[in-house]
Amino acid sequence: MSFLVDANVILYSALVCEQREACLRILEAIVHGAPGRTSPAVLEEVWHIERSGRLGDLSGLTERAHRIFSPLLPVTDEAFAHALALDAASLGTNDRVHAGTCAANGIGTIVSADRGFDGARGLRRVDPLNARAVRRLLAAA
Amino acid sequence: MNAADLTSYVPVYALHMLNERLQILVSAEQRRRLEREASHRGVSVGSLIREAIDAQVGAVAVSDRERALDEIRAMRVSATVTPEEINRMVEQERDAALSRGLDR
Repeated sequence: MSFLVDANVILYSALVCEQREACLRILEAIVHGAPGRTSPAVLEEVWHIERSGRLGDLSGLTERAHRIFSPLLPVTDEAFAHALALDAASLGTNDRVHAGTCAANGIGTIVSADRGFDGARGLRRVDPLNARAVRRLLAAA
Repeated sequence: MNAADLTSYVPVYALHMLNERLQILVSAEQRRRLEREASHRGVSVGSLIREAIDAQVGAVAVSDRERALDEIRAMRVSATVTPEEINRMVEQERDAALSRGLDR
């Protein structure tokens, strides 16, 4: 069962923060075969933050994440159509595109610290700090 | 061709050994699309299919992925930020990039 990994998981894995270790464990599981995927739209967000320098020196983070997640899920015409049709007031346009990418690829779970996804119908959010849910997700994968 | 001619030849090494044969069935419509795209790009249908395989199932070795993870693990940037703040920063950076583009 594949799952989508959101930008905040990638960013937290490089920051000294409460979520760091949990996010690194998720990336480690993906490196060793767990079916965690991401998309160019997600990595673009990481890249914006990296290039801005607003969280400090995150040079190379996007390229490293790309190596871990390649091949990326494409953001297709179908994904965009799903994003446009999504009934979720809590989601901004970026997050709608991520939810649409999930829908187009038959993915029902997103790993994200962003509670906004809780309002997206057909998509289950797993918080990286919810150890039990993460364990269950990785065990089912 | 004599021995002297041979010295001017540059050896060419293939990066990938194409020695596995895979037979697949596709629909007439899929075949038409493949042939049209291959013709458009000036490549063979086989090359197009090999490219699609790499795009779908990836060509990055596990050792490269492990190295990427180790490099991320070595990053230790001190910052506290919420997902909502991350979303806002992304929007602001996009707006700033757009403004810079419009100013040019």
